[in-house]
Amino acid sequence: MALLRQVGAAMLTLWAAVTLAFFALRLLPGDAIQAQLLRSGASAAVIEQRRAALGLTDPLATQYLHYLAGVLRGDLGVSLIDGQPVAAILARQLGPTLALAGSALLIAIGIGVILGVTAAQERGGSAVVARLLVDLALSTPLYWTGILAIFVFALWLDLLPASGAGRLDQLVLPAAVLGFHTAGSIARVTQANVRAVMVARFVTTARAKGLTRAVILRRHILRVSLPPVLAVIALQAGFLLSGTVITESLFVRPGIGQVLLTAVLRQDYPVVQGVAVWSALAYTLVSLLADAGQRLLDPRVRAFR
Amino acid sequence: MLQSTPRRSWRVGHCLLVLSTILMAAACSPASQSQQQPTARNRIVYGLTLQPSGFDPHIHASAELGIPLRQVYDTLVYRDPQTQVFVPGLATEWAISPDGLTYTFRLRAGITFHDGTPFNAEAVAANLDRIMNPDTASQRAAFLLGPYLGYEIVDELTIRLILSSPYSPLLDALSQVYLGIASPAALGQFSNQRYQFNQVGTGPFAFVEYVPGDRLVIRRYEDYAWGPPFYDLPGLLSVDEVEFRFFTEPATRATALESGEADIMGELSPIDASFLTANSAIQILPVAAPGQPLQFLMNTQRFPTDDLRVRQALIMATNREAIIDAVFRRFSPLAWGPLSRNMVYAYRELQDLYSFDPAQARTLLEAAGLQDADENGFLDLNGVEIEVNIVAPSWGMIPEVAQLLQDQWRDAGLRVVIDPVPSLNLLLEAVASGEYNLVAFYEFGLDPVFLNRYFISSAPNNWLGYANSALDELLIQATQIVDPNERFVRYAQAQQIIMQDALILPIRDYVNLNGARTSIQNLSFDAYGWFPILNNVIVNPN
Repeated sequence: MALLRQVGAAMLTLWAAVTLAFFALRLLPGDAIQAQLLRSGASAAVIEQRRAALGLTDPLATQYLHYLAGVLRGDLGVSLIDGQPVAAILARQLGPTLALAGSALLIAIGIGVILGVTAAQERGGSAVVARLLVDLALSTPLYWTGILAIFVFALWLDLLPASGAGRLDQLVLPAAVLGFHTAGSIARVTQANVRAVMVARFVTTARAKGLTRAVILRRHILRVSLPPVLAVIALQAGFLLSGTVITESLFVRPGIGQVLLTAVLRQDYPVVQGVAVWSALAYTLVSLLADAGQRLLDPRVRAFR
Repeated sequence: MLQSTPRRSWRVGHCLLVLSTILMAAACSPASQSQQQPTARNRIVYGLTLQPSGFDPHIHASAELGIPLRQVYDTLVYRDPQTQVFVPGLATEWAISPDGLTYTFRLRAGITFHDGTPFNAEAVAANLDRIMNPDTASQRAAFLLGPYLGYEIVDELTIRLILSSPYSPLLDALSQVYLGIASPAALGQFSNQRYQFNQVGTGPFAFVEYVPGDRLVIRRYEDYAWGPPFYDLPGLLSVDEVEFRFFTEPATRATALESGEADIMGELSPIDASFLTANSAIQILPVAAPGQPLQFLMNTQRFPTDDLRVRQALIMATNREAIIDAVFRRFSPLAWGPLSRNMVYAYRELQDLYSFDPAQARTLLEAAGLQDADENGFLDLNGVEIEVNIVAPSWGMIPEVAQLLQDQWRDAGLRVVIDPVPSLNLLLEAVASGEYNLVAFYEFGLDPVFLNRYFISSAPNNWLGYANSALDELLIQATQIVDPNERFVRYAQAQQIIMQDALILPIRDYVNLNGARTSIQNLSFDAYGWFPILNNVIVNPN
């Protein structure tokens, strides 16, 4: 029953995202076909003809129903600009996007949790350093860290390539930069949760029992404080899977972010809508997974449902 | 309780392991084909600067697509890179009928497409059919053909193109990559959607693969023996394979050249280019692209640019030298008219029409009735402060130029408002509102026929709001007369009218700042300025 409810909610989210994307895009000024033929010398009549052939002159409601029916059949339409099926365009970019998002997320979880736990300690030099790093991850713009990383590792030390996709060494720099950036928010939440649990009474009890700090942390504190972090990780995962425009352009990688950026600038409605569908799908799936994970890890969540 | 802990954390670790394995697979899968192919002797990486909307020359319109595809296709005629004169390509000779309605092309014998099929009149016909088919929805090629009516196959190697009215830009159109001749077999085999991934031409390089967003690869076609006169015969050091990649973010271009990840890169920023001149491993090749200069079209329908004196004053209040120094690091020639100076039809007498003269500008503005009555440094008319509005697209360093104009015109007493537009769509929207005084826009090409899109009163892009039947007549005649000298007379007069009526503010001729590793030798560009002649490029690692 709970599962059914969740799936229903997910479908509703998807529908809302599709609908919002559809109408929001059409509120934007401009016209893809006119822009496309700007330097061709095409007459207004030719432009109108092309728009009609693409269904852009139909009433908005007709276009919307048509689109929705297509989405239900799994057909996301074709790009207004290059005539390619949107599903095919997205599918081609999925590999590089998954590779970058996944590896960045793994790095972010690793760094984020370690930094968060360390920063949550009351005393010690490592806690100070960890807090500083968390602040750095949260406050430095991706663009800046990215250029710095390219400068140091690609240009100066000549260790890693700064561009391209396909080989593992090409993934290292973008994943590390994006991972570090994403680690900031994971660390922040971990830090806050660990902090909150550290003053709980069962921790005092454990300490009174004479357990070592390490055992208390591992067995008592983390088990309670980490599951809620899953929600943040899920949020970040959804964000990363929707495409990372800056990282992709900076490291010259293909991906959903690049597709989105060009499609928005060219007012390529079907492609932007397709990306919206994908993002909604990614967010929904990841948060379903996170919910399940939380239930698995935290008996209290199970008990309350 | 205590027992379950290790098992559960094992489960999490297991999940992570599985996840990372999937990721590794994903990371390696999409792009591994190029590594498996035998490595060519002289393989170079060429950096493109934007993600074109598509790579089908008959369908798509970007200049970017021509950089790789100019190497894959031949055209019926070519233009000599130095003289811009038409030279034989797939056609060895051609004749234009006296009425200008029929162009007869004699085709070269013995040419085969990369797929082994023969090139002949039927092939040309199949290409024309595809381009003109409404289902193809050609964005450029079909329009280049102007009043094209049809063709007539005279014999195996002779084809006649028929026009409904004389159209002198036709030869120029046929020398452009958008009218490159593709293999009819391949066109028949692949749909319009799929052909761009499976292209087959007759050029010095064969198409290998196109992976959107990632790369396009071409490889030397060993049997090529029908190039235009300016194509060298390949030698041992000639380039064999070229991988084109997309460096959309300007900040990445210079670093990719420096690190050696790219061997050639187009459209470096002027700052990067001047910086790289100090790097002995890199050469900077500035190439002027013929066409319209960076120009601001002036709206003659809106106050205050509806007044000729104000428009002239704006030109005189503009210190173009200073703009070229500051924004373009001296990499661009100053522009003086609607055609760049490297075009054969550019009218050089316009050079001295307007010079930077702030005092004269002020005099003209005052003659137009503008006064600084409240003495706040800005001019007003009848107590209302005037404002000049500039629509500034985000490309081609236009925002930087607009900012300098704002500074320079402030000295002349004018308040300038800049309206930034990040895309063509928004530019169209801004222009449609009519609420602008200047809008920056330009296009490229060797035939001045593009002027008709901006300066003829009924033109789709008449953003000037200008109507002058004398100018209309000159521009229309110039596209119908075949004789170049007669055309020049018309274009000279047209350019004179455009500048005397101060319809545009020209700033600089467009220069593409290319960079290349010094191991790349013999890199030159065709007459259009945008397209490299990779056939002649030599890779010399020493």
